Amino acid sequence: MKFKAFLTDNGVALLEKRFLPALDKIDRTCHLYLTRDHAAFLHNLLNGDGLQSVAQFRIEALFDAYRISSQNDDRIAFAVDLSLLHRAIRSSVGICNELAADAGGSASDRLQIKLVKKLPANSTQPMPFLTFETKGYKSAVIQDVPISKPMSRAQVSELQSALDSAHALPRTLVQVHDLNQLQSFVDRMRHVGDVLNVSISKHGDLHLQIATTLITLGAEFRKLPILGERADAPPEDRGLSAQARSERAVSRGDAEAVQVSVKHFAKSLQCHTARPDCAFYGIAEQGACLTVIFQFFIPGTRQTDKSISLYCRLPVLDPGTN
Amino acid sequence: MSSPATEAEAAAAAAADLICHLDNVQGIVDALSSVRWKRHQDAVVEVSEHGVVLIVEDSGCLQAKVYLQRELFIRYDYHAQGRPRFGVGLGLFVDCLSTFSVPGHSNTIEMRYPGPDMQLLLKSIDSLDACIYAEIRTRIPETISWDYDFEPAGSSPLSFTVRSAALKEAIDDLEWPGSSVQITLQPAPPSVTFKGEGHGDLQIEFMYYANTDLLIAFHCDHAVSHRYKYKFLRATTSNLPSNVTKDNRGSKLTIGRGGMLKVQHLVSVARSSAAHQHSASGYQQPSRIAYVEFFVKPEVDGDDA
Repeated sequence: MKFKAFLTDNGVALLEKRFLPALDKIDRTCHLYLTRDHAAFLHNLLNGDGLQSVAQFRIEALFDAYRISSQNDDRIAFAVDLSLLHRAIRSSVGICNELAADAGGSASDRLQIKLVKKLPANSTQPMPFLTFETKGYKSAVIQDVPISKPMSRAQVSELQSALDSAHALPRTLVQVHDLNQLQSFVDRMRHVGDVLNVSISKHGDLHLQIATTLITLGAEFRKLPILGERADAPPEDRGLSAQARSERAVSRGDAEAVQVSVKHFAKSLQCHTARPDCAFYGIAEQGACLTVIFQFFIPGTRQTDKSISLYCRLPVLDPGTN
Repeated sequence: MSSPATEAEAAAAAAADLICHLDNVQGIVDALSSVRWKRHQDAVVEVSEHGVVLIVEDSGCLQAKVYLQRELFIRYDYHAQGRPRFGVGLGLFVDCLSTFSVPGHSNTIEMRYPGPDMQLLLKSIDSLDACIYAEIRTRIPETISWDYDFEPAGSSPLSFTVRSAALKEAIDDLEWPGSSVQITLQPAPPSVTFKGEGHGDLQIEFMYYANTDLLIAFHCDHAVSHRYKYKFLRATTSNLPSNVTKDNRGSKLTIGRGGMLKVQHLVSVARSSAAHQHSASGYQQPSRIAYVEFFVKPEVDGDDA
């Protein structure tokens, strides 16, 4: 089992400033899953009750001179602490920049990352590490980030099938541009209750509501751009309250509604730190989960950057248990 | 069009005692937060032609009122006979209101009472395609257990005005001795003394002539001294919004008959975009101020010196 690569400038920019801080806020530990073509950071894919998130990159987006080999079809997966990984990258970048300034060159071919087994201090058992090596002309700085034992063949294939199953898109997706506004709203809303009703209609309406015995608090975002199945809203719904409108759309079959945890919803919005250009919300077939897909544009264009994909799946609460 | 005035809605509007619009939600949130001193507080809201008053009370010893005069609202339609009152959880009300306040956006909201089920109804009205709404269940208010009628102690007032920031700092410092705090006003030399006794003692003195920038005004013709429970005194400044100290405002403290202490703060409800700092004194139009008043009953063995 071998993995060795150089982190590119673009990879550093993506990970250090954007993705690692965002993913760290979702949960401190995640699985790093490496294949011949992709590197993915995965949260909670193997247990069903948490917020699932998948951040997947094409190898070229992050690495140069990428070498991977394993007996399991060149796939390697392990658990890693994101805040340690973030710290290691940050300080390696700092050192790299200093060295590059001295040498007057680019930092790109100097930050090497590889999988190693080492004997830690006070231990007789060798342990796996992800090592960051920054080389100068006379010195090298090495940082070891402890990782879990690489996952077994069975676990890796479980991870892969969870990834594959997440690819099915909801039938209707609505696009939210102002994630800042949504985030500040949800951050304040979470003081009021724990369970969030989310309904998404084919008319492009996203309706969020918390209802307790003391208070009903909701927000309706209308006429959002739609991806997938759409329908025209009946004109008689125009003058109704947000609540009535979404109830009618659900009963007509033009909308779906699920309940999710406010905490999960707020956490999924932390992906905003990764600076996506917009987000799509949709409810998976049969209300299985709430899916949030973040879209990244190629800088300076309105074209989707296909080398990056980031999405979250929020588990649906059973209305009976609340 | 922006007003989908269906018949039902028009009928509901006609039946409402109050429909008001406000354009600075955060200012109202700040004003109401200043009377939040513990987790669960029941508030009574009274609506009249002059505005909205929110009252909270604690253990028969402390009462606080926030006056939101009708001038603070950009629309104020009042149609009730008598003064309708309703009870509401203060924390829930404030948390809910703050959801409407989106930083960096102007937010105009409508507040309406009562809804079809006696709820307090709130909704944002400044955007057609995004709407926030809330329905808060109200309660029949309990009659307030203790009468806080504040009467002057004598023919001339016993009062002083101190920088709100200095007052808060002094009260925070008195936490260490804890238990009770004695407030003494004396005419010669004109000064105010806060003395805390408990685990050791701590005395904080404001001399009128020595620090006129802290003690802005002082009226006292005879020495007076009363003791107040620390936790009630602390409640009067514990949640003072930051704009009060930033605007360098003063708080007025008056001692009334029987030693009842009245503490008055001014909280700015100016629109954030219009919140242009005019001068160091933080002068703003009086109509953009919410008045906050606390009444603290003295400890029973408090004696007139």
